[in-house]
Amino acid sequence: MSRIVPLDATRHHAVCIDAMAGAAARQFVQIGLSEIALAAADMPLFLVKDAQTGRFNLIALFGLIEQRNLFWQHGGMQSTYLPRAASLTAFRLDPAGEGGVGLDEGDPAVGRQGERLFAPDRLPSPFLTTTRTALDSVIADVAAAQALIDGYAQHRLIRPLSLVLRHDDGHEHAITGLYGVDEEGLAALDDTTVVALHRTDRLAPAAVMAASLAQVERLRQLHNAAQLRPLASFQLAFEG
Amino acid sequence: MQKQQHTKTNSDTIRTIVVVGGGSAGWIAAARLAAKGARGSDDIVVKLVESATVPTIGVGEGTWPTMRNTLAKIGIGETEFLRSCDAAFKQGARFVGWKDGSPGDAYYHPLNPPAGAADLNLSPHWQQVVAQSPDRDFADWVDFQQALCDAGLAPKTITAPEYGGVANYAYHLDAGKFATLLREHAVDRLGVEHVIGDVTDVVMADNGDIASLQLADGGSVAGDLFIDCTGFAARLIGKVYGVPFRRCNDILFADRAIAMQVPYPDENTPITSHTVSTASDAGWIWDIGLWARRGTGYVYSSAHIDDDAAEAALRAYVGPQAEHLSTRRISIEAGHRERFWQNNCVAVGLSAGFLEPLEASALMLVEASMDAIADRLPRTRGAMDTAARQFNESFHHHWERIIEFLKLHYAITKRTDTAFWRDNAAPGSIPDALKERLELWRQHPPAPQDFAHAREVFSWPSYQYVLHGMGFETQYPAVAASSPDAVLARRWVGRIERMRGDAVAQMPSHRTLLRAIREHGLQAV
Repeated sequence: MSRIVPLDATRHHAVCIDAMAGAAARQFVQIGLSEIALAAADMPLFLVKDAQTGRFNLIALFGLIEQRNLFWQHGGMQSTYLPRAASLTAFRLDPAGEGGVGLDEGDPAVGRQGERLFAPDRLPSPFLTTTRTALDSVIADVAAAQALIDGYAQHRLIRPLSLVLRHDDGHEHAITGLYGVDEEGLAALDDTTVVALHRTDRLAPAAVMAASLAQVERLRQLHNAAQLRPLASFQLAFEG
Repeated sequence: MQKQQHTKTNSDTIRTIVVVGGGSAGWIAAARLAAKGARGSDDIVVKLVESATVPTIGVGEGTWPTMRNTLAKIGIGETEFLRSCDAAFKQGARFVGWKDGSPGDAYYHPLNPPAGAADLNLSPHWQQVVAQSPDRDFADWVDFQQALCDAGLAPKTITAPEYGGVANYAYHLDAGKFATLLREHAVDRLGVEHVIGDVTDVVMADNGDIASLQLADGGSVAGDLFIDCTGFAARLIGKVYGVPFRRCNDILFADRAIAMQVPYPDENTPITSHTVSTASDAGWIWDIGLWARRGTGYVYSSAHIDDDAAEAALRAYVGPQAEHLSTRRISIEAGHRERFWQNNCVAVGLSAGFLEPLEASALMLVEASMDAIADRLPRTRGAMDTAARQFNESFHHHWERIIEFLKLHYAITKRTDTAFWRDNAAPGSIPDALKERLELWRQHPPAPQDFAHAREVFSWPSYQYVLHGMGFETQYPAVAASSPDAVLARRWVGRIERMRGDAVAQMPSHRTLLRAIREHGLQAV
C-alpha cells in the first residue's frame, strides 16, 4: 500500500533504502526512451494506460500473475539489464519534500537496511543527492518515451493485447489492460510516414517493442522456475 | 419549377449526390455519404447546398447511443467531438412527475438494457418484487445505470477507448457547434463540395426526377440523388413533390416549445448525465447538461396553455437564475411525410417530419435514414425505385412506432390534474395498435414477438422501462421461486448488484471525466 509523503529530515532521518528490495517486489516498471533496446533484451515491453490521464505508459513487465519480480531469484536480478526506475521505487518528485523528493513509506525498499537518506547531522546524504539526480534523469527519459508513444497513438499503431495464461490443469488466467505496437499497422504506413518516423528515430523502437513480446515466454519459464503454480502455455494476440 | 429536356434512364449511374440544407441533418447526410466514398467503396461526389440567408433551427441537443457509431463511421474521434461540441454524456432519461404527479414521482429510462435481456424477461419477476416492495424502481432493479445517474457519475473512465464505456451512453451536445464540426470535417477531410446559395428553382427531368437546382446567383447544381435536409421548409419533398404531411397532433398534442440556455453557477457545478424530463401542466420541461451550460425548454400544447404562461412556467422551473436569460420560441408541427423518398429525392431530418423530443428521436432518425441510404446506395437509377419503396415502408413503420412509444408515456398516466393530462389519457387519442398492445401487456410482458421488425427503434426493453416505471398494473402469471427462470432471474439480479457496486466505486464524476477528456483526450483504443 503506497503512503507517499514529502521527504522530511526529522521524520525520515533514520530511514534507509534497500533499492533491490523495492525492485524485487515490482511486477513492472515504467521505462524511458533510452532503455527500450536494453530492457527488451530481457523483458516484454507493453503499454498500459495511466489511470489519471488515460495516456499510454511504456512498461517493462517483470511478473505475470503474482505481484512480484520474476527476475529476482537467488537474491539477485537474473537479467542483463535492470530498468532504472526499478531502483527508485520508493521515490517520487515532490516540491514540498527535502530536495524536491517524496517518499513512499509503504515501499518495500524503505526500512532500516541499506543506504541512509540523511547524514547524522540531518543534512541530505550523498545517496539522496545521487537519487534526486537519477530521479530527474528517469523522469525526463520516461517523458521522452511518452512522447514517442503519443506519436504511435496518433498513427493508430497501438492496439489492445489479450494475454491469456494457461496452467497445467487447464485453468486460464487473463491479464487485461495491456497494449502493444501493431506490426501490421506499422507495415501499412505510407512511405512518407515511414521515412519521417525513421529519420526521427521513432521507427526502430516500434520494431524493438513488437519483438520484445517474445519475452513473455521467458517470464513463463521464470514463473515455473520460481516454483509457482506451473504455467503450461500462454496466448498473446492483438484483440479485434 | 422548370421542365426541360433532361432525360434520365434506368442505367444511369448514381454518382453525384446533392444534399440541400446545412443543419445537423444536412451535414450528417453529406459526411456519411462522403465517408463511404472516402473509403474507396464508391466513386461518388457529394455536394451540399446551403442557403446563406436561412438560419438553421439549431435545436436537437440530445442523441441516442447510435451517434457513437455514426461519428466513428464519419471518422470523427470522440475526443474531438466532445471538445468541439461542448458535449457531455447522456445515460438515459429521468421522467419526473409523469406517473401521478405526487411528490417523489420519478422513474428512469436508462440506456442500458435490463440485465440478461438476451436470456430472460424480468417483467414477471418484477411484478412479484414490486408487490412486496412498492418503493423499488424497476430500472434500478434490472440495471446499474440509474445508480450512476443518481450519483452524478460518468458512464466510463479516462482509460476507456473512444466510443467505448462501462455503461451504454449517448450525448448532449450544442447543435450549432455540432453542425460546424460536421461541416469542417466533411469539407476539409471528406471532400464534400460546399455550395453556398439560395435555391430559386428546380429543374425537372422528363421522368419526374430532379435534374438540377437553380441558385439565386445564376449557378446550377445537377445531381443523381437529392437529399432534402431543408428542415420544416421541405423545399424539395414538400414544395417540389407535394408529398402530403401526415399530422399526428390528435395523438401528440405538443405544438410549441420555449427554449432557454442556462449557464452553470460555477465551473465545478455537477453536470447531470441524463436528460431530466419534468411533467408540467400542459406538457413537459427538458433539462440537459452540456459541458458549458444547461439546455432547458418547455414543450407544450397551445390548446392547453398560452405562450406567456408557458414561459412563466419555464422561468419558474429554472428559478431566480432565469431572470436575465432570454428565451426562444419554436413552433412544432407533429407528424411526418406520407412518403420520404420520392423519385430521386429523399427527405431526411425535419423535412421528413418532427415529433416532440421526448425520447430524442430526431437525430436518431437522421442517422437511421443515412444508414439506410449510405449503406445501400443504389448504384443505378434503375435500382432506386426499389430502394425508395423499401425505405418508405421501413420508415413508415419507424415513425408509427415512435409515435406510439411517445404516446405511451402519456397514455398510462394517472395524472388528472389538468386538461392536458386528462385529454392525453382519453381513449380517442390513443392509437388502436397501442391500445391493443396495452391490453396484451396487462397479461403478458412486452416481448420481441410484439413487434414486426427485427430492428425496432424502440424495442421491448424500452417498453418495459416505461410501463414498469409508470407503475402500469399487470397480471402476469406467478413464477414459482424454484423454477429455472426464477433461479436465472435471481442470478442476474445478483450480478447487477455486484456490477452496481463496482461501477459506483470506479466511475469518476461526470464533470471530472469531461474535464480530463478536455485536458488529456481519450485514446482511440
